[in-house]
Amino acid sequence: MSGFSEWLTDVNDVQASKALAVGLPTKRVESWKYVPTRGLARTTWQPAVPQTTRQFALTGGQFVNVPTDNGLTVSENTLTGSEQERLDGISQAHGFGLTQAALEDTHLILTVQRAMSVVLNLSHLANQASSAGFAALIIRAEAGAQLTLVEQFESTNVEKANLSSLRCLMTLERDSLVTHIRFQAANTSAHLFSNLNIECCENASYRLQTVEFGSKLARNDIYIALSGREASASVNGLAITNGSQYHDTHLTIDHVVGDTTSEMTFRNMVDGKGEATFNGRVLIRKDSQRSATEQSIANLLLSKNARVNPKPELEIYADDVTASHGCTVGSLSKTELFYLKSRGLSETDARAFLQYAFAEAIVDEIEHPDIRKLVETQLLGELKHGELIAELKDSVDV
Amino acid sequence: MLSIRNLHARVGDKPILKGIDLEVNAGEVHAIMGPNGSGKSTLSSVLAGREDYEVTDGEVIYMGQNLLDLEPEERAWAGVFMSFQYPVEIPGVKNIYLLKAAVNAIREHRGLTELKAAEFLKLVREKLKVMQMDEAFLHRNVNEGFSGGEKKRNEILQMQLLEPTLALLDETDSGLDVDALRVVGEGINRMRSPERSVLLVTHYQRLLDIVKPDFVHVLTQGEIKLSGDYRLAERLEREGYEGIEAA
Repeated sequence: MSGFSEWLTDVNDVQASKALAVGLPTKRVESWKYVPTRGLARTTWQPAVPQTTRQFALTGGQFVNVPTDNGLTVSENTLTGSEQERLDGISQAHGFGLTQAALEDTHLILTVQRAMSVVLNLSHLANQASSAGFAALIIRAEAGAQLTLVEQFESTNVEKANLSSLRCLMTLERDSLVTHIRFQAANTSAHLFSNLNIECCENASYRLQTVEFGSKLARNDIYIALSGREASASVNGLAITNGSQYHDTHLTIDHVVGDTTSEMTFRNMVDGKGEATFNGRVLIRKDSQRSATEQSIANLLLSKNARVNPKPELEIYADDVTASHGCTVGSLSKTELFYLKSRGLSETDARAFLQYAFAEAIVDEIEHPDIRKLVETQLLGELKHGELIAELKDSVDV
Repeated sequence: MLSIRNLHARVGDKPILKGIDLEVNAGEVHAIMGPNGSGKSTLSSVLAGREDYEVTDGEVIYMGQNLLDLEPEERAWAGVFMSFQYPVEIPGVKNIYLLKAAVNAIREHRGLTELKAAEFLKLVREKLKVMQMDEAFLHRNVNEGFSGGEKKRNEILQMQLLEPTLALLDETDSGLDVDALRVVGEGINRMRSPERSVLLVTHYQRLLDIVKPDFVHVLTQGEIKLSGDYRLAERLEREGYEGIEAA
């Protein structure tokens, strides 16, 4: 036995039995067809042990040092009927969802009180080798509340495969605003699973800025429902995939009602033997008139062995809609390279300039200045020959 | 300084240059004129090292070395600069990053010390003034959203900073209004020196009224059909290319 079998057998409840019976998803499950699940199945996963820290962190499937900010209510009481339904929907999608449900320890519920403004910094600590943690976070932004949620991942090296799963439900009540920044530069043995299920009520706005270049495998399932008029969502995402990494984002924005707007911009930059999947779906339902959506997906391939699997999907059933979309796959522009080289930049510097430019378009959208700066610095460290740009930024930026 | 001998080049299967011979000595300004499709832009692109063109015959000797053996960046290091007919937009790269990186790359290959930020800013501000450009251009992305005239000024600004030995100016006058033409033309004139040569590719005489060339060559169908001094440009303006070809 391997994978989660032993752990699920130990848990021995109804959900665990279901997860055991169904097993991990295989390539036959459409939404998982590119995910390399062999590494998952080969490891005999143990429950991770929480580590000591002073920060608000997710470690070993537990939330520790949960903040008690003004405007924030913390509870571990039961989910609302709608929340339970949404969580069950994720669980029942496939065998991994069932495993998540069976092995989750905690449901932390955070409520940002009406018209209050809160900043939350959540650190994801690396789990030990061959160990895994599963958790769920429920966020309720009350009417007019403002939340900035910043997630960062510890990058300390772990020798063997380690895993962390977080399912996050957010409900944005009317007029609330959530700015969600995710910066994932986790250790290169990490297997990270993230489910985001967002519901935006009337005039609520959800803004996600995500940059990902760590981990061995990362799978993000994001579902955003615009279920109140004038609700809006924007997603700006960048994944840099190198070596033998695999990054996968499945994103759906659902215009449940009319007069809603969405924007989806995602960029993949893939080098080495990396593989990246981006499935971006926008659904505008039959009665969701006067909705507007913009979708832009760009993929940059930097090596012969790099792979991308982009899949833009626009499903529009209403007739009074503004929609634009674009999806490109390519390598660095020869014309741009020639221009830079004709000015005396070496091939490597010219390539670094253009890679930086490709990534910077997303990084520049990060609305938190300190995090944006941190991401820029780490991004330059990640790029081959990023030093020249780092030095230029230091010397001439005002 | 530059000897082009029997240069043949093609794009795909289509021959464009069919035997160009040209001698450019230090300090000279040569204008290459000719109708659309005559091969003018191909000539400057081949000299700058654009890879879409294949040289099928002939040679180009620049300061004693075979120019065609060099990569585009090596040509830049050796002092060759091309002002692009269509300057390339590079979203995400600030103009100032490119300018500083380029200046220091070329200084390094000339055995000069790297310019520090303050020295570079002083130099670039001086050149901006010459080109009548606002400092805000430094912090905009390379050519992105620039008007046609701004792009050409930016090219000449780069030339001023990089101080090439051989400047190839490919239709630098196209898309310019009268005022911009004067600024760009004077920017080129300031660069004239006994050590520097300029190859100026143009359709029209108007830039040549400001930048007086020492020699004018008429390129038609991939060959230099006629050479002369400045008066040839005036004759072209009066008689057109067809008149000259018929004569």
